[in-house]
Amino acid sequence: MKRLYLILFCFLIVAQVSAQENKKRKPNAAYNKQNDANEKFLNKQWWLGFKAGTNLTDVHVTKTYSVFSPTNYSPDQSAKKYEHFKQPGAQATIEASFYFKKFYFSLQPTYQHSLFTYTNSYLWYDDVVPTNNLELNYEQEQKLDYFIIPLLIKYDIAGNKLRPYVQIGAFSAFLINANKQTTISGTDNASGGENNFTDPAIIVGAKDLFAKSSWGLIGGAGLNYTLGNVRLNLDAQYKLGMSNITSTKNRNSSDSLSGVGDILDDMTMDNISISIGCLFPMRFLANGFKSSDR
Amino acid sequence: MDLNHQTVNLFLMLKKFYSLLFIALTVLSCSEESNPKFDTDNFTSIFDNYKFDIDYTPIDMVQTSDGGYLILGRRKLTTSNMSGIYLLKADENGNFVKELEVDETYVNPVARLTQIGEVFYFACMEYPFMTANIASVDPDLENVAFTPVSSINDIIPTYPSVASYIDNQFLLQCYDHENRQSGLLIVDPVTGAASGGKAFTIGIGAADNVNEAIINTFAHSRRSFPYEVGKSGGTYFFNGFYNFTYSLVFTDLVSDDPIGVVSGQNPPDSDFEYQFGAGFSSIVNLSGSKFAASMFYFGENYLMPGITIPSNSTTSLQPDSFNPSYAFPELVKNANVKILRTTIDSKNVLIYGSDTKTKQIGLYFYDEATGEFLGSRYLGFSNPFEIASIINTSDEGIAVCGTTYVAGRFPRICIFKLSKEEIAGEIK
Repeated sequence: MKRLYLILFCFLIVAQVSAQENKKRKPNAAYNKQNDANEKFLNKQWWLGFKAGTNLTDVHVTKTYSVFSPTNYSPDQSAKKYEHFKQPGAQATIEASFYFKKFYFSLQPTYQHSLFTYTNSYLWYDDVVPTNNLELNYEQEQKLDYFIIPLLIKYDIAGNKLRPYVQIGAFSAFLINANKQTTISGTDNASGGENNFTDPAIIVGAKDLFAKSSWGLIGGAGLNYTLGNVRLNLDAQYKLGMSNITSTKNRNSSDSLSGVGDILDDMTMDNISISIGCLFPMRFLANGFKSSDR
Repeated sequence: MDLNHQTVNLFLMLKKFYSLLFIALTVLSCSEESNPKFDTDNFTSIFDNYKFDIDYTPIDMVQTSDGGYLILGRRKLTTSNMSGIYLLKADENGNFVKELEVDETYVNPVARLTQIGEVFYFACMEYPFMTANIASVDPDLENVAFTPVSSINDIIPTYPSVASYIDNQFLLQCYDHENRQSGLLIVDPVTGAASGGKAFTIGIGAADNVNEAIINTFAHSRRSFPYEVGKSGGTYFFNGFYNFTYSLVFTDLVSDDPIGVVSGQNPPDSDFEYQFGAGFSSIVNLSGSKFAASMFYFGENYLMPGITIPSNSTTSLQPDSFNPSYAFPELVKNANVKILRTTIDSKNVLIYGSDTKTKQIGLYFYDEATGEFLGSRYLGFSNPFEIASIINTSDEGIAVCGTTYVAGRFPRICIFKLSKEEIAGEIK
């Protein structure tokens, strides 16, 4: 139901923006009919382009899971602590947009490599001599590769040569690959002295642990700069994950991870991406390949 | 007119876009949904304790009527070298619910933990008298009661080693250290009254050091032997000490001598750990004289699914004594082996669970009818894991209880729950 409201909300925003656009146009209705053909032509354009950039990821836990079930301490002591928008990933996008009167209807298939990390710690100690203790710190890094299909509506706010725009839409993400890297480090104060150690990282394929597909909403803004026929593009997007990215059925399927006490939580994934790229017009006014910029 | 036309175009365009968006979202909204069943079907739980010196060792596990799990274990005591009694309750998702450390007066809990009605029973002994008791506990671990096992046929029921619930009675094996004999008793689980029993010598004139060595195996730090009791047809059997060897003994509980014996091996070695160097490490009666078994043989291990052992046979246990007999060099020396009869995809399957040299729990699947190897599965990684018990669960899956050494050093009880689909995926 929450998702339905959000979709409805997006629909209303776009409908409102388009309605206002038409309202603004009404006083200018009587324009020169001689230019009509050109205007009609220039009001529509196909843009094809490519962009790439970097992204940061955050996850929101909806339900926690743990292999360790404490019998005499609070589960909070060993709870996972997630890092937020910390590790940079990368993405590459092919953009195909149809322009119509300041609106773009855009399909942007994207390959996205995202990373996020969480940590948790455990402490064991001697009741009689508390300085006799062992602390273990687990760092779990997830590397996820997604093929993302966003559908966006972009709206040119102003300008001609420099065109800022806002965008909104939804996306579906298909998992291509996933890996997990577990690094265990710690401090051993129980072997006759302080010993800090880091074990070799455990790297396992984790594709089965994550949902094959997920979806979410996108909002963002950007700038197009016209350079001849080409538009240089700076684009920022925020992807709001709406569905669980963890495989609820397979979360326990990795003996390698459960053996070291790790299991994935239910979570949604948010992502901030910044890309730069260029767009090429697909329709031209004349043989001189003048693009339809207005 | 033109403006209207353009507006119509815009809305047509928007309509197409939203249609596309709607279709896309509909198709792609096959998103991951939580399902509580998934959480009970498969899980791994490690019951952790912050204390450095806590040492709980699971012995047996049963599934409770609420879908949760009750684990019977041993705990290290500071007041004696015996093992104390430890009970742990987990819910259907493997989450810790409650634990109970039983008073140190009662020690040495042994398998099997058995549910009768809403009460759980197991055998243990009273310290320092070493007399066998039947302990009963409610599912919420609120109350534990003990009933001493009565003597019968001059058998002093001390040092209980294993008990199985057969024909509504406990079939209890014990070691009568006064008379230096292994006893097999039929005991009422509620009253502790023995209604039958027979005892067999561990060896005429057995030296004190042998007697002492057997008793020492009941100490917390020592390796326990794979004691077993059961019934094949109308004949009872036990796997225990008899006539200087660790043997499989068949008895009708009437004759003074065993009906049949499969003798273990007793090499001339002064080190007791190796003195009883060969014997069955597990044995389950399938039907009549057909058994699923495993053998330890001077450190080596053999799995023997579907062997025939006539109850009147008198033979010595060798790797080639029975067929099939598969050597398993991947298992640790004198490995602890558990056998579970189960049904997977309408096929009767034997699951052997044991400890591998890679410190994992190995599960080996065999066709019960043919003895054919069907597949394997290994549980655990990085930290060492050891098996304690394997059971069928109400959802047709299995659950494996064992010990893991967290951080490579702290023994902690663990449960692996595997769904029926996951098990089915492991076999041919």
